[in-house]
Amino acid sequence: MLNIQTRQEGSASIVTIQGKVNFEVTAQLRDVIRDTVASAQPKLLVINLEGVSFIDSSGLGLLVAARNSVDKSSGKLHLCGLPAQVKKTFDQTNLTNYFSIFATEQDALRGA
Amino acid sequence: MSKGVVLVVDDEAPIRDILGFYLKRAGFHVLMAENGRIALEEMEKVQPDLIISDLRMPEVSGDEFCRTVKGNPVTRDIYFVLVSALDGSVNKISGLNLGADDMISKPFHAQEVMAKVESAFRIIAMQKEIKRQNSELTRYQDRMNAELALAANLQMGLLPSLRGRAPGIRYTHRYLPADGIGGDIYAITPLADGTTALMIADVSGHGVTAALISAMVKTSFESHVRLGGGPLDWAKGMNRDIALNTLPEQFATALVAQLDPGKDSMCYVVAGHTAPMRIRGGIGGGLHRPELLPGKGFMLGIDEYLPFTEQCAPYEAGDRFIFYTDGLVEVERVDRSYLAEEGLVRFSSELPEDPDIAAGQLVRQAQEFNAPNTFGDDVTLVVLDRLS
Repeated sequence: MLNIQTRQEGSASIVTIQGKVNFEVTAQLRDVIRDTVASAQPKLLVINLEGVSFIDSSGLGLLVAARNSVDKSSGKLHLCGLPAQVKKTFDQTNLTNYFSIFATEQDALRGA
Repeated sequence: MSKGVVLVVDDEAPIRDILGFYLKRAGFHVLMAENGRIALEEMEKVQPDLIISDLRMPEVSGDEFCRTVKGNPVTRDIYFVLVSALDGSVNKISGLNLGADDMISKPFHAQEVMAKVESAFRIIAMQKEIKRQNSELTRYQDRMNAELALAANLQMGLLPSLRGRAPGIRYTHRYLPADGIGGDIYAITPLADGTTALMIADVSGHGVTAALISAMVKTSFESHVRLGGGPLDWAKGMNRDIALNTLPEQFATALVAQLDPGKDSMCYVVAGHTAPMRIRGGIGGGLHRPELLPGKGFMLGIDEYLPFTEQCAPYEAGDRFIFYTDGLVEVERVDRSYLAEEGLVRFSSELPEDPDIAAGQLVRQAQEFNAPNTFGDDVTLVVLDRLS
């Protein structure tokens, strides 16, 4: 069961995800991210993964596509709150070097 | 053309005549019978769309007739209206419990019956349409299932043979697609210089789309191997092919390796994939200390210009290697834990000599570890032995 919440803080959109991110839920998550980018056109999109217990390659693919989509609209994508299990998957796939990753949501919003 | 066939069953001729008159006038084809037995004989010749039957009749009564009609798979969908002289909701409920679709109390007004008949035929028309659509869907589903089974067979044909052999190696695999057809693929290609090219990949997602991309990944691997070079060139070429020829969210994790018995070395590129496991001296079976080989890297297809790195590991006579996709170790158990690489290392520490039995044992152990949960993603496991 995936729980997704979105909110706006200034020019930043924040998407908070909780649960397992796998093939079964990527369509739902894709819709939320696409709608957020299309409607708010944020300068900064923060995806908070603090509540994510597991992410598979479909989920990683979705995040890569989200970054590409934000890049095209001259925005930035910051990820934050990666739990150890998720961090391990990011390390294995070198994606720690592909995304801007922050410890907390506040850090991600500040871009620190 | 009649609006439908109505069978009127009543032992009183005047009632049959009155109903017959109104029904014919409304455009229905009418059949008559004076009791349930004669009605059943009539139904062997023509099957009605609707039956209006009295409850109390000699020989075969209305309730027995209704039970017979509703108990027969051929006639059970015929709309059945029971006519009863006994009024009251208890009688109506018992009539409906017999399987009748509606009840009419005697004495009735012919217009009330006609209103019920018209309403019944609207329901009958809807039922017919649902049946038609259902049968169309079933045919479509059967065709899709047949196509998927064919595609799954073709996909199995893309895999190396079970208990395969190439110069200096023997290998086997277990391939368990999550949806009959999967996004995992692997290939083993002996090369003219005595080395062997190996690739195992996992396309994001599963099902038909992932399967199509997995076939493309295999073709891409084989064509880059034919062009020469080593694992780094092959991985870069495959990355470019996938980045340029798939949709933005479609990627593959892969391990691309070249096994060189001359140099006792295996050079490989890990592209977002699980790194292989080496069991030194493992081909004889028994207790060993498996070692997860190092390596990490981007998935294939994110961006055509992303860098990849190649590394090498010992590949000595008598070594056993385990290659696998993450579906094997990433099943969430009831207690929310995972088998993970560490668990697979534990299982691999004592394997039988026969690689095929070893592969079966590993998959079985993973399944038992995950039970009652089952594999939710495609699973591929390859056991490869470097012969002495």
